[in-house]
Amino acid sequence: MLKKSLIIRDPIKLLGLETDQTFQDKGCGAIFARAGVGKTALLVQLAINSLLQEKPVLHISLKDPVDKVDLWYKEVFQNITKLNDIGPSDRVWDEILPYRFIMAFESRAFSLKRLMGKIEELRSQEIFAPKLIMIDGFSITDADPAELDELKEFAWANGFIIWFTIRGHRGESQTPDAFSSKFLNQYGDFFDVILQLSPEKDQIQVKPLKKETANHPLLFLDPSTLLIREDRV
Amino acid sequence: MYTNIKQIRNIGISAHIDSGKTTLTERILYLTKRIHKIHEVRGKDGVGATMDSMALEKERGITIASAATYCEWGKNEINIIDTPGHVDFTIEVERALRVLDGAIMVLCAVGGVQSQSITVDQQMKRYNVPCIAFINKCDRSGADPFRVIDQLKEKLGHNAVPLQIPIGLEADHKGVVDLISMKALYFEGQFGDTVREDGIPESLVESAGQRREELIEAAAMFSDELTELALEDQAVPEDLLIDALRTGALRRELTPVFMGSAYKNKGVQPLLDGVSRYLPSPVDVENVALDIDNDETPVKLSCSTDAPLVALAFKLEDGKYGQLTYIRVYQGELKKGDTAVNVRTGQSVKFGRVVRMHADQMEEIERIPAGYIGAFFGIDCVSGDSFTSKNKKLSMTSMYIPKPVISLAIQANDIKSETNMAKALNRFTKEDPTFTTSMNEETGDTLISGMGELHLEVYLERMRREYNAAITVGEPRVAYRETITRQSAFDYIHKKQTGGAGQFGRVAGFIEPCAEEEFVFDDKISGGVIPTHFIPACEKGFRECLTKGPAFKYPVTGIKVTINDGASHSVDSSEMAFKAAARGAFLQAYNKAAPVLLEPVMKVVVETPSEFQGTVMGTLTQRRGIIVGSQDEGASSIIEAQVPLAEMFGYTTVLRSLTQGKAQFTMEFFAYKQVPQSIAEEIVKNNEKATKTGT
Repeated sequence: MLKKSLIIRDPIKLLGLETDQTFQDKGCGAIFARAGVGKTALLVQLAINSLLQEKPVLHISLKDPVDKVDLWYKEVFQNITKLNDIGPSDRVWDEILPYRFIMAFESRAFSLKRLMGKIEELRSQEIFAPKLIMIDGFSITDADPAELDELKEFAWANGFIIWFTIRGHRGESQTPDAFSSKFLNQYGDFFDVILQLSPEKDQIQVKPLKKETANHPLLFLDPSTLLIREDRV
Repeated sequence: MYTNIKQIRNIGISAHIDSGKTTLTERILYLTKRIHKIHEVRGKDGVGATMDSMALEKERGITIASAATYCEWGKNEINIIDTPGHVDFTIEVERALRVLDGAIMVLCAVGGVQSQSITVDQQMKRYNVPCIAFINKCDRSGADPFRVIDQLKEKLGHNAVPLQIPIGLEADHKGVVDLISMKALYFEGQFGDTVREDGIPESLVESAGQRREELIEAAAMFSDELTELALEDQAVPEDLLIDALRTGALRRELTPVFMGSAYKNKGVQPLLDGVSRYLPSPVDVENVALDIDNDETPVKLSCSTDAPLVALAFKLEDGKYGQLTYIRVYQGELKKGDTAVNVRTGQSVKFGRVVRMHADQMEEIERIPAGYIGAFFGIDCVSGDSFTSKNKKLSMTSMYIPKPVISLAIQANDIKSETNMAKALNRFTKEDPTFTTSMNEETGDTLISGMGELHLEVYLERMRREYNAAITVGEPRVAYRETITRQSAFDYIHKKQTGGAGQFGRVAGFIEPCAEEEFVFDDKISGGVIPTHFIPACEKGFRECLTKGPAFKYPVTGIKVTINDGASHSVDSSEMAFKAAARGAFLQAYNKAAPVLLEPVMKVVVETPSEFQGTVMGTLTQRRGIIVGSQDEGASSIIEAQVPLAEMFGYTTVLRSLTQGKAQFTMEFFAYKQVPQSIAEEIVKNNEKATKTGT
């Protein structure tokens, strides 16, 4: 009961992006933004949503150690419980924790092939069978396109949803729009869903970059908690 | 001796197990001429490193107790506490850090920042101890000091700045380039006694220049003068650079990094220079005591020998001449023949013999001035006691002491052993606040409790060896607890009329879970339905019920009792009656409050070659562990999990056999968590069986 009351606003549902059946139980998504805008915060919210539904989450971090990723989860979870005013939430935290597995890699020791091998190992030894895989800090532009395709096939074959965070460079000579359209051209086919975090005045809007459905609410990240907040159009 | 306080350095050497800190200490003692021969930790000569003074430490190749010693380097006098690396002995590390002003953090050039380094770093943060880092074992295959520096930044958040670069690595490790003097340093002679300065090798000129620029950039954050010189592209004087680095290090905003190989006698002398240059003297550190007579108001201490004495006993040892107490003097002077007050007991004590320790040898001295570490004999006290001048009641801030999580039942085999065991336990409990003893009322066994299997094993070994006590050891026992999960009301009347004065008391209210405290008693009685003078008896009655819970027979924790109604009788009510009423009320409400059993859950960190990662994770999940995550570092992997302590007995052997001895783990208390229902039932059954059979 307590867990259900905590399930937060799911941007995928709110933006009507799962209607074509491709993104309900498998597929690839991206959260696209420049550095420091809230990619990891949104990623962790999506993960916690999944944990609250008892769907196992494998969080891959190429930039932060396990402890720091764990802190992200604790902080976002606390913010969610505060927002919902449910009082002490230690029991819920203890209940969802077994559904989460954090894997931190040194960037130079990481490859998509290696990751697929690790996931296979976890599954075959019945240690952990993820439904949602979060990959934070991976430079997709450096990835081998063949490996990317292999990963996508892997996700489809095994029924995973994989989310990537994609960093658009602050110092790029192009405008943010030009950069995002370049990204869309290059990776639009690979991702089923792309969410762009776009800082506008004093707020951060969550926009679907790939396709926009009619009559969806405007979604924002609350600047103080970085939690999703919705405003109807 | 005792020339200038600014030249004193009280330092600790902290690190992960097997990083080579005892070897490093041995080299330091040799180079500062405190010893004249080097004995390796696991050397063939069978002597063992000088700092590992206990026979057991020599045998196991680990450092258990912090042996204190001092040495001189140039004009500086350095007091060193060699600290243990295993997490079970963390109280020793904590104590050492409490009394030290600075520390050397030893890291392995191959293993990098390991789990214990993280624990030690957290402790250093807690006590605000500035540190310098020494990346050891640069001669080992796979050594990569710059990877370790990256880890210092990423994992520990240090602003780690290398002051050296290595000349060659692994088997080619020849020396270091000093980025301050921009000279190559080679260590010659049998034990690297002579430092030969030379020009930087051609192949390293460019990278040395680049690293020096980065060094100046980092140091410039702490000196405007240096910033100006750097911006104007002018030459930077050595002194200015050193001063700026020192400022950063003392504020804990910069960590100077040295490197070398203690075993191959490379890089130790520059590290000693680094201790003098970048670690604080006692006057650079602000120490605070609590004024006992003035509501424990914090009082800033001055590092002056003229001020009243304030000293802290931080370690006890059983010496040939009675109890040896290690002491740090924070203020004033501790003189042979002087008297002082033990703040805890209020007793006056006289310092008969004052010594300075060098591992297990000692030197008689007349006084220990402020800022120094020394020891005295023949005074009965416990670790953590403060000693002050007669007219001042100042206590050093209490140390954080974790509660024991594991127990073992022990029994002496004969009368002589029983006496010896009692002596040993008396000594150990005084020395180590995380080691406690108690009596199992049902079986009459003595229970020893501590922070882990190894912790207790070491004390058992010491009892056998040092005290010649023959002991039979039972199975380890986990310190379970019980608590309630929902609110439950009580309304209980205790009434007895069996001739003579009767007994009457009624208490009503409720019990509820309370996560923050072990026990809270809330008196909400109004209108005097229970007379005020009986309220403490009610509290006492409830408190007495906590020692053994009605549901599982373990101590009760996390409970709040509120009383809001009751009744008394002008003749028959008494303290005893209300205590009994409270006990009855507790029993009435407890089982309705959905009691659950709690068990200690440990944070377990396993470091393993990546090939065994899956196997190791399997062993942890089989033990009801939750895997928090894994850090993949290419050839090796670090797995962090939360595992119930009850499942961890004998894990060392299992891990060793499954990984060909290549994996190691550390374990520390994490939290008390609820035991799954089925397992709780099994524990209750086993307990009942044990009670019946009397084991």
